[in-house]
Amino acid sequence: GRQLFSSPSWLLPEDDFRPKQCGTFAQPYSDVRGAGERERERARDAGGAGGWRSRGARPSPRLFIHDGFRDPLGWSGARGGLTVGDFSAPQLVLRFSQAAQGPATLALDSLSWLLLRLPFPSVCQVLAQLPKKANTAGVRIRTLVALLHGDLHPPEQLKALHSLARVVVTLKQGDGSPRVAVTLHRKRRNKVVQKKEYFTVLSGFALKHLGEPSPAAVSGEEVIQKDDASAVADPTANLTFNLRLSEAERRAKESVPLPYQFSEEKKSSLLQGPTGQGKIYYEPDAADDIDDEDPDDDLDV
Amino acid sequence: MAALETGEMLPRRSEEGAAAAATSFQRRGGRLASLPGTRPSARHGQLLLSSGLPSLDAGLGGGMAVGTLLLIEEDVYGVYANLFFKHFLAEGVICGQNLFVASDKEDPADILKDLPSPLLNTSVNVMEELAARAVTSKQESQESMRIAWRYQNIPKLEVTQTAFSKFGHYFDLSKTMSPELIQNITWNGFSLFEETNFCPDEKSCEMPCGYTRLLHSIQKVIYQRGYDGSGPQKKERNILRIGIQSLGSVLWGDDICCTENPQSINRLTKFLYALRGLLRTSLSACMITVPAHLIQNKAIMERVINLSDTVVGLESFIGSERETNPLYKDYHGLIHIHRIPQLNSLICDVPDTKDLAFRLKRKLFVIERLHLPPDLSDTVSRTSKQDLAEPTKLLSSGCRAMAIGKEHLDF
Repeated sequence: GRQLFSSPSWLLPEDDFRPKQCGTFAQPYSDVRGAGERERERARDAGGAGGWRSRGARPSPRLFIHDGFRDPLGWSGARGGLTVGDFSAPQLVLRFSQAAQGPATLALDSLSWLLLRLPFPSVCQVLAQLPKKANTAGVRIRTLVALLHGDLHPPEQLKALHSLARVVVTLKQGDGSPRVAVTLHRKRRNKVVQKKEYFTVLSGFALKHLGEPSPAAVSGEEVIQKDDASAVADPTANLTFNLRLSEAERRAKESVPLPYQFSEEKKSSLLQGPTGQGKIYYEPDAADDIDDEDPDDDLDV
Repeated sequence: MAALETGEMLPRRSEEGAAAAATSFQRRGGRLASLPGTRPSARHGQLLLSSGLPSLDAGLGGGMAVGTLLLIEEDVYGVYANLFFKHFLAEGVICGQNLFVASDKEDPADILKDLPSPLLNTSVNVMEELAARAVTSKQESQESMRIAWRYQNIPKLEVTQTAFSKFGHYFDLSKTMSPELIQNITWNGFSLFEETNFCPDEKSCEMPCGYTRLLHSIQKVIYQRGYDGSGPQKKERNILRIGIQSLGSVLWGDDICCTENPQSINRLTKFLYALRGLLRTSLSACMITVPAHLIQNKAIMERVINLSDTVVGLESFIGSERETNPLYKDYHGLIHIHRIPQLNSLICDVPDTKDLAFRLKRKLFVIERLHLPPDLSDTVSRTSKQDLAEPTKLLSSGCRAMAIGKEHLDF
């Protein structure tokens, strides 16, 4: 799946990899946990930007960095750098096929940088076709993670990007230390899951998950309503007089005819009255000579 | 260029139109009615085919007419529009019609693999449910009303749109269609990226490329297989169902989704003009889903709606405050029928209600008439809940009078 992080007001902590804008990492997997959990963890790792460090601060043979920061426009002509022009599906696939052996995770830091320099539709197209192209070239891209600074782009572009991603994690600076990550996950079988989680970044850039907000915090109103309901449930509980009816009393009450209760005939006549149209009842005299052929038969002409 | 070619076809179109119009005066079992999965419309004499959802057909006046374009405005996450799309294709597979599938993201073969399985003949669930519903409604009607007896003769609200008719099929979303069924039909696919593979040097015309290639691809299928009424298909005529997913999204190379002032405002409309020309002159019907919520320039969306024959908008409750609203607790979203075609007549079919909602059950996707749930709370009346009264503005006049005229209701 593709993941997208948009962080409107979120600051990356200073980090070894921070200067390498538009770095592209390819890293084979050796995790054995469930896919869902792994994805979540990965999201969190990448979101906090401390995850790469915890997996080994120095670039290991399993971690490949394509540096797009030093020479983005290809002016110095240094070999091996990733330039803006290289950001097309075939070019990128060529780079990966040289590096990766197994299924790889691809991280883009950051997409904002690309979106500001390349036309928006072409960036989206590259992102969409990259996994397929890579597959045909023999490289499996398991996950594509892209970081995005949401405050740098017009909202309509963000919406279009969100519609392309399978998982969108939006990081918000909460007031105080717990920050908020809102996850939107499109699952298979026509489901969309939205989740809000708190996390905080500890001193060593370790990420601490603080759990989801308690249901009370999410929907305070509902809880209040529930309290109301329980309070309302039995108003006849502590009264000094009797508000309840016994079975016999209830029957006696129901047998009393009330002013709006009519007999069956009256009901049916009232029910039919307004719907039926006007009718003419006519009983023919002896003098009437009904002849369909000549309606003017009785006139002396 | 495509427009020119369709222009050449105009004379042929009148012939075809005459043939189609003539069918309404023929006996049943006429030439065109023998096409699989179609039936002539009683109202305007056009051939109809099912959209895959019988309840949607009922809302559209019986079904989609052959040669018309059905536009689905996608919901925000595209979940339910995708279901409509799959039902449309699955119906074609069941009827033995030919398919043309195009998508911006997915591979057409993958889409076909993931079609819902048909509930043929007497499906146990549907029938059980129907029986249960019939029993409960009978019980209700037998119990005469004591106080509100004036309402006794009011006809029961028909929640589902139609009785289970012979036209159209029901599909089980929990299972996928067996591959044998799909192998039996002829289908063509169009995948945006596969084709760019073959022409990497096409960078110069990159932007409108997606639409033009799609159009050429559809045109090729229509001409080569003779859906335009020429030559080879005389002996065995069939309908071509064209499904296009997420037309107008960024992946087609169009920038209408990301800016209000796109480079070329009429790329999509041009495509639709040409496509309509193709459809009108051939035995085909087309369903398109468009991410309408992403298209920034409202003028473009207006034009797209005007260029389509039938327009259905979807509004899902996912992520909106309506998801938790008790009024909508039975439903997953609303359907807005924006446009119904006027075929062979000055007026169109007007459905008796426009308040439709959809629901995704475990297996079945159904469209129902939207109605207020019974209010079983202990509070004085429904009107005491402000938040509930607010969204009922959407409901039609009958319900609205109840919900908004609070002061009159408070007895």
